[in-house]
Amino acid sequence: MFIKFFPPERGKDLNFSQNLKPTKCMNILKKISTGIPLLAILLLPGCAGEKEQLKDAANSFQVPVEYYQLKNGLKVVLSPDPTSPTVVVAVYYNIGFRIEPKDRTGFAHLFEHMMFQGSQNLGKMEFVNLVQKNGGILNGSTRFDFTNYFEVMPAHKLETALWAEADRMKGLAITQDNLTNQQGVVKNEVKVNVLNQPYGGFPWLDMPQYANENWYNAHNFYGDLADLDSANLEDVDKFFKTFYAPNNAVITVVGDFQTPEAKKWIEQYFAAIPSSQLPSKPDISEPPQTREKRFNKEDKLANKPAIAVAYKMPDRNTPEYYAMGLIDQLLAQGSDSKLYQKLVQEKGYTGGISGGINYLGNMFNYNGPMLWMADLVYDANISPDSILAQFDAAILELDTVSQEDVDLAIVKVRSNLYDNLGGFYGIGRADLLACFALFDNDPARINTLETEFRKITPEIIRKTAKEFLRSTNRTILIIDPKAGKS
Amino acid sequence: MKRTYLLFLIFATVGLSAQTQKQTPPEGSTPKDFKLPARKSDKLPNGLTTTLVQYGAIPKVNINVIIKTGNIHESENEVWLGDLTGNLMREGTKTMDFKTIARKVATMGGEVNVSTGLNQMTISGSVLSEFAPQLVKILADIVMNPAFPETEVERLKNDLKRQLTVQKGVPQNQATEKFRSIVYKDHPYGRYYPTEEMITSYTIDRIRSFYEKNVGAKRTVVYAVGKFNEADVKNAITESFKEWKEGPEVNFPIAKPVRTNQVAMIDRPKAPQTTVIIGLPTIDPSHPDYLPLQVTNSLLGGSFGSRITANIRENKGYTYSPFSTINNGYRVAIWYEQADVTTEHTGAALQEISKEIKRLQSEPPSPEELKGIQNYEAGIFVLQNSSPGGIINQLNFIDFHGLQESYLTDRVKNIYSVTPEKVQQMAKGHFKYEDMTLVLVGDKKELDKQMKERERSLKVK
Repeated sequence: MFIKFFPPERGKDLNFSQNLKPTKCMNILKKISTGIPLLAILLLPGCAGEKEQLKDAANSFQVPVEYYQLKNGLKVVLSPDPTSPTVVVAVYYNIGFRIEPKDRTGFAHLFEHMMFQGSQNLGKMEFVNLVQKNGGILNGSTRFDFTNYFEVMPAHKLETALWAEADRMKGLAITQDNLTNQQGVVKNEVKVNVLNQPYGGFPWLDMPQYANENWYNAHNFYGDLADLDSANLEDVDKFFKTFYAPNNAVITVVGDFQTPEAKKWIEQYFAAIPSSQLPSKPDISEPPQTREKRFNKEDKLANKPAIAVAYKMPDRNTPEYYAMGLIDQLLAQGSDSKLYQKLVQEKGYTGGISGGINYLGNMFNYNGPMLWMADLVYDANISPDSILAQFDAAILELDTVSQEDVDLAIVKVRSNLYDNLGGFYGIGRADLLACFALFDNDPARINTLETEFRKITPEIIRKTAKEFLRSTNRTILIIDPKAGKS
Repeated sequence: MKRTYLLFLIFATVGLSAQTQKQTPPEGSTPKDFKLPARKSDKLPNGLTTTLVQYGAIPKVNINVIIKTGNIHESENEVWLGDLTGNLMREGTKTMDFKTIARKVATMGGEVNVSTGLNQMTISGSVLSEFAPQLVKILADIVMNPAFPETEVERLKNDLKRQLTVQKGVPQNQATEKFRSIVYKDHPYGRYYPTEEMITSYTIDRIRSFYEKNVGAKRTVVYAVGKFNEADVKNAITESFKEWKEGPEVNFPIAKPVRTNQVAMIDRPKAPQTTVIIGLPTIDPSHPDYLPLQVTNSLLGGSFGSRITANIRENKGYTYSPFSTINNGYRVAIWYEQADVTTEHTGAALQEISKEIKRLQSEPPSPEELKGIQNYEAGIFVLQNSSPGGIINQLNFIDFHGLQESYLTDRVKNIYSVTPEKVQQMAKGHFKYEDMTLVLVGDKKELDKQMKERERSLKVK
């Protein structure tokens, strides 16, 4: 469940649907584990130039990365891939909902919608139409630490997409009508995804508000309806001037293109956009958690109880962080995982569990305090404590984790990483490159991730589990179902 | 004070765009060739079909075993028996239990998924390339030698009941169930959800019997798409599946969907939005006009830039997520527009939807508007064929509907041969507003009021 410009169009299925009913899977609760927003259900696609020796290729699959900066500070990442005659243009701005203005909850996302409402050379609907009429798809989304905009175009329309992204980076031309219209659209987005939906907002939107202490991590990212209503054109203008500058952004191009041409056009369309003085970043750190927190939330639309359990993550890019990536695989990913085996197979408490690091993306695309979380729906005759006992038992087993377990987790991580590198028509790769450029100034990290995971020993796993998966570091949120009760 | 400032801001922006001559976007260069990835298809003596496609450079492979059975083969009191059968197949084979399979496939970098749809049961996995033959063997074992452990039946039934309860609380599902029951009536396509009592009644014998009656080689296609050693995978498929029983012939009972202008309402007191589905039966993919209908749908409501979406979302702000679609079954299809609309704007949104349909019926789109949609559909077609999962879906689509390969190879050409007049004709013939079934899930008190107003204004027209 991303907060984004437009939803997956269930009708416009990029994959022909031959079955008439939507999937019956249990993931009503919006599992996002590897997530990239896009139209419909997209599976893992292929990628660049042929490499032989299948077995070695598995260990040495490398993504081409060219990285530089324009004089105005705009970061540029190019990664050619001739698999399909298409090209991804992705612009990521270093502004997420975490640090939006305090009296304007939901504004980062509302603003994302404004980026489709008109710029100097493209009036309302003209950006969308330009992309679609040239045979492309597009979307945008707002996350913890960035807002992104991307197009997947036929390869020969690269210049068109670059021109259009530059046009809206230069400035917006928004009217009060446009703003009012999108306030209506966004309020409907909140209603369809949260207010009129059983388990709406659970746990992806709710848990950060319960688990975190610092306002930046703990406010309602979708926004209170009143705050959304009070946004005005002055806010739009100020937000754009503050955050939407080339020195606060990265442009990533992935797909079937010639590097010299791409560079020429990027220079031509983006170089003249002036950089700006960026505000200093607020303190988004979370105080260490010292006691278990437990909350109940009444849900007037839900029929069954549900529980989410969240632990505060170690800092990004530390050995403990990579260890948590492996622990996530062992505990919650796939039907072989400990929580699945215990809660689904052995106890029958639930039909499936969701879990992961960063429910609004994946373990790579954020830059601040984060949670590892798992959640499930269960029957009212089961007590939450008996579910928690299974969490505790699974975590306790990490104390005897073997090298074989670590190897298994690494294979799962690698397979999952390949899905991102090849997946979503190149958007998965563009996402990692953009985030590593934006947060670490090092998009080439994409090729060393597996090495980092391989450094993790059973000992580090044990230590990490002890330090971070302790009950005093967790927050429990229980949905109290009130459907049909007044 | 603030108001003045705002006015000034607006004036400033307008002034800016008026002064400067607007630039036209660069056209781009000439299109690159797009060729569908080559496929190799084969048939075993027992009737099982295989299709292999090498695609991409990422060292992974998707293997899907697709069996032509599903909810369509359930009788009236057997809804979701197919799902329960699929779920129990996943619990293990005669030689490997669930945990063993889960662990084995995890070491390949994947997991086994079993899903039961209306027409197809899919047993699939996506693993690192080098494990492709091993995955084939495991999937074959699951479909050919399920253990059907009786000890797991009660748990799986309870899971289905929980799932049923949760799903029935979702307004979009309530609307879909209602709409399908009206249009498809007594056909299995019209039975979206079972009752709890039905699930309670399912026994291991009925599960076995569903499997015996419906699963076998003649109904099965095995797809391998991605990067893999072809000879090894081909071998693994032949070796694993050659002893399988032929099983039943492919047999889909064809539904007779009904056109009715019935209005159905499901009350959700105080709901902030109404879930709207409005639509009717239409032509299916085997009909020569199916592609022009797709193009027409894309222009009317099926793409973000489409007329209905531009109107009720980008102009009026009534909704976030409107879309229209053609939903196919075997030799039948339904077209509908669906949207979650602010409660107080439900009537107004319906007015706008009907207006857009009528506008398209009364005048053909401009050649430019149509050209844009054609480019979009051609672009989408390339994307649909640019991932292993997408490629499987495309090939499965023509297989399921019994279409020629030319359905795919001539698709781009055929998209561009649709004329504005044809679009108008499709809208006239297939989107007759007065024949549409309307389902509303929302605050009934508020809706009753609005529906009266709507009827009045429709009559005025």
